[in-house]
Amino acid sequence: MKKSSFFASASALCLGLVLAVSAGTTANAAANCIKGDRKPPYTIGWADIYSVPTWMKQTQGTIEAEVETLKKQGLVDKLVVTDAQGDANVQIQQIQSMIDSNIDAIILIAGSSTAPARVLADACAKGIAIINFDSLVDTDKVTAKVNTDSSQWGDQAAKFLINAIGGKGKILILNGPAGISVSDDRRKGADAELKAHPDVKVLAETNTPYNVAPAQEAVTSLLFANPEIDGILSLGGALSAGAVLALDKQGRDQVPITGENARQFLELWKEKGLKSWATMQPNWLGAFAAYTAVQALQGKDVPAFVKIPLPVIDNSNIDEYLARAKDFPADGYIYSPYDEELFKKLLAQK
Amino acid sequence: MSIVPSAKSTGALYWPVQARRNIGVRSLFLVVLAFLIAYGVLFPGLFAASGFAKFTQSWFPLALVAMAQAILMLTGGISLAIGATVSLGAVIAATTMAGPFGVAGGAAAVALTGLGIGAATGFIVVKLRLPAIVVTLAGSFIIGGAALLILPRPGGAIPAWLSDLLAGDTPAAFVLLVVIVLLWKLYLATPLGLSLYAAGENPVGAYRSGVPVDAARVAAYAISGLLSTGAGLFVAAQTGSGDPVIGTAFTLNSIAAAVLGGIGFLGGQGTMRGALAGSLLLSLMISVMFFLGFTPVAQYVAQGLIIIGAVAIPQFRKV
Repeated sequence: MKKSSFFASASALCLGLVLAVSAGTTANAAANCIKGDRKPPYTIGWADIYSVPTWMKQTQGTIEAEVETLKKQGLVDKLVVTDAQGDANVQIQQIQSMIDSNIDAIILIAGSSTAPARVLADACAKGIAIINFDSLVDTDKVTAKVNTDSSQWGDQAAKFLINAIGGKGKILILNGPAGISVSDDRRKGADAELKAHPDVKVLAETNTPYNVAPAQEAVTSLLFANPEIDGILSLGGALSAGAVLALDKQGRDQVPITGENARQFLELWKEKGLKSWATMQPNWLGAFAAYTAVQALQGKDVPAFVKIPLPVIDNSNIDEYLARAKDFPADGYIYSPYDEELFKKLLAQK
Repeated sequence: MSIVPSAKSTGALYWPVQARRNIGVRSLFLVVLAFLIAYGVLFPGLFAASGFAKFTQSWFPLALVAMAQAILMLTGGISLAIGATVSLGAVIAATTMAGPFGVAGGAAAVALTGLGIGAATGFIVVKLRLPAIVVTLAGSFIIGGAALLILPRPGGAIPAWLSDLLAGDTPAAFVLLVVIVLLWKLYLATPLGLSLYAAGENPVGAYRSGVPVDAARVAAYAISGLLSTGAGLFVAAQTGSGDPVIGTAFTLNSIAAAVLGGIGFLGGQGTMRGALAGSLLLSLMISVMFFLGFTPVAQYVAQGLIIIGAVAIPQFRKV
């Protein structure tokens, strides 16, 4: 995962960020939760909610790579990894164990947007740096939260799709699991655009895990019921791949579809010549969280919320992504390039 | 119970009977003890008030669902709806307790829902003679859906004082568990409680002997529902909020804890103390493996080995 030089060159291009680089930011106020009594090298705890999905493995890969870099700088000596196997209660217990073992920093993807709030407040009170990314917890008792904007994701996806089908037509909406904040937020983000275009008729919506097989199955049965479909608003990459495969197996024409940077979907996009658009939840959020935790522990001021701009993949840059495909697992996600410069810029934004 | 033995002979019989019922789970107790000692050595803070409090709080909901599952399995039933019922209990608590009905009203709503769901499930299973596994699987969808209807996404609130009382730095959860176990002992002394094992082990024989088999089984489902929503209430207090899918993992974990504790699938086999020990082992494993520094992959393997080990040891001793 060491491609820093390439990442450095490509990062500016790929993330056309409007980042005001406030040069020479002096760290005066310590970040939230930080008491300044913890000295390097630090022990970082990575409280994973579920280690099995490929996205998670790739994310952990970026964390491990970042920790290696930080180890070389003498800032970190150990990465402790826990896996809650999808159970929010177990995650709470593991975070409690991290507190009990007097860890210096906790980075986590939450298994519930509410459940870990109290245990995190305990950790915060003990001066532990907490960086929460991807699935966030409704609490301000953390050092920083890091995420893309799920509602913007839904909004941009809806904009693209409605435009692609000419402002009217019949569409399907593919969502992630019900009751999960991320899938709920992406879906809500699409609402305004859908309401603004009454000629866009939603035939049906699905809720499936973010996996190809269940999405393919759900779309297949919807295809039987709906002979006429003009577009698919998919709010997850594996869901899009499932939908494309379902259309293909049924011998139906492909329709405009939104998606995510799942390698399988990007390859199908190219192969089938789809009219498509995709964004991503970059895996390097993990690396960034580890980096941010160490910055905060060293007394640097860290914004309470770091909003990561959504990288967009369209026909203009899909080839750049596919050119790097071989570096990523077949069922993985081709994330945008990153490097320390990018991290510094993200932390400097206010 | 027509035979009324003298007080002296009951006293003499009680402990040997209890000891005999421990035979199947003695090795489990040893494994649990070993883990407890290991945990105490690895994390001496366990013996401080707050360390003990936090640990028992992690264990408490699992202990309740293990009891909820065990009481059903003792009657020859099972429930695949325990996780969903925990979620429902949590969202009801989180949506009512901060409202006009207050904590008492919320707790009553949680308890009545649990009893109601349990009794309804029991009635369908027992009176309509439908397989428990099918009824409770269907029930899990209905109950889980109801939880999502009440709270479509995580939210709600629990008064902070209740969270601090149940899941703060005091061993309130442990005290509560002791009280629940004592209530269970008391229940076993009532006619319905006495019928529980008989209804599970030999329902036909028990029925012919005049045991209220159906009533005992429906009551078991009702109590199981109450324990499940109670676990949900505790999880809501522990986390300070409600989450409509927080309980999902409890279904499988409750079965694992009960089976680990020597409760048979066929009914009438096993003891509640076994199920509690099973749940304690499942909970201890997570913390002990953390302090041993196991990687997640090693944890998966170790978990499986420990469970097989705890179940298999008594078998070796018989050979």
